[in-house]
Amino acid sequence: MTSPDARSAMSNVPQRFAVGATLPVLTRDVTQPMIDAYAKASGDFNPIHVDPEFSRTGPFGRTIAHGLMTLAFVAQMLNDWTDGQFDECGEIDIAFVGPVYTGDHLEISGVVEDVISSEGRLASQVKLICKAGDRQILAGTALQPIEVRKA
Amino acid sequence: MADFKRYDEVAIGDLYPPEPLRFEVSAAVVDGFLAATGNDDPRYRSADGSRRAPSMIASVYLIDLLNARRSPPGGIHAKQALRFHRPLAVGETLKIQARIVDKYVRKERPYIVSSFEARSEDGTVVASGRVTSIWGRDQ
Repeated sequence: MTSPDARSAMSNVPQRFAVGATLPVLTRDVTQPMIDAYAKASGDFNPIHVDPEFSRTGPFGRTIAHGLMTLAFVAQMLNDWTDGQFDECGEIDIAFVGPVYTGDHLEISGVVEDVISSEGRLASQVKLICKAGDRQILAGTALQPIEVRKA
Repeated sequence: MADFKRYDEVAIGDLYPPEPLRFEVSAAVVDGFLAATGNDDPRYRSADGSRRAPSMIASVYLIDLLNARRSPPGGIHAKQALRFHRPLAVGETLKIQARIVDKYVRKERPYIVSSFEARSEDGTVVASGRVTSIWGRDQ
């Protein structure tokens, strides 16, 4: 049963963190030079990202972007939404369910699907959305502790 | 002898690297990461002496960490969980270490699950999480 204090706190959740709120949309057009630049920045030169010849014999038949590059875009979107609070105390739990190829147009966003109590604080639970056209790229959630206004 | 580990050589409980990896959150690393991800957020551009770093710089030190695992090329990053415990500043040095916590084969694909922690010099946890990878072909 929800306590009166908890109900009061829930009613004061800022609108952007409330159930049903939609998160900002971040878009990126993925190119091989972008993938190569990310490989250089991260030190991840796995040939499935940067070596077209090697990748032709792999499971995708061509190079794919780094999953962590896509996740960096997700983090950018979450920081846009939270004014940087994601950097301070955010959580993310995702599975990479589809590859990102050169030429893909990524759209990244999310929807607050619940507000839960987590470690003594309220937190928005976000269903993440990341797709390239009709293809789903990742599946998972983010959890963002939120500051609640005094009633 | 190959300089990577075979899947059958990896065991639950393995710690890698044996001593925590040191990672400096340098301005050069942060600038490279921001440029490569098209991130022009002014939050990370402050020049007042206390410049903030994006917590997702984790995606850079995780590569150093996974390289220490010595997996063969061609592996696939399948899942990622991350939790940030406090903001990160440019100039900090982190100590990072991981442990293999699960290992299984699904649909003939060999999976490895690791949990990791990144700690500041004073030992407080800055970030933690879990990485699930499909092992690259090792023969």
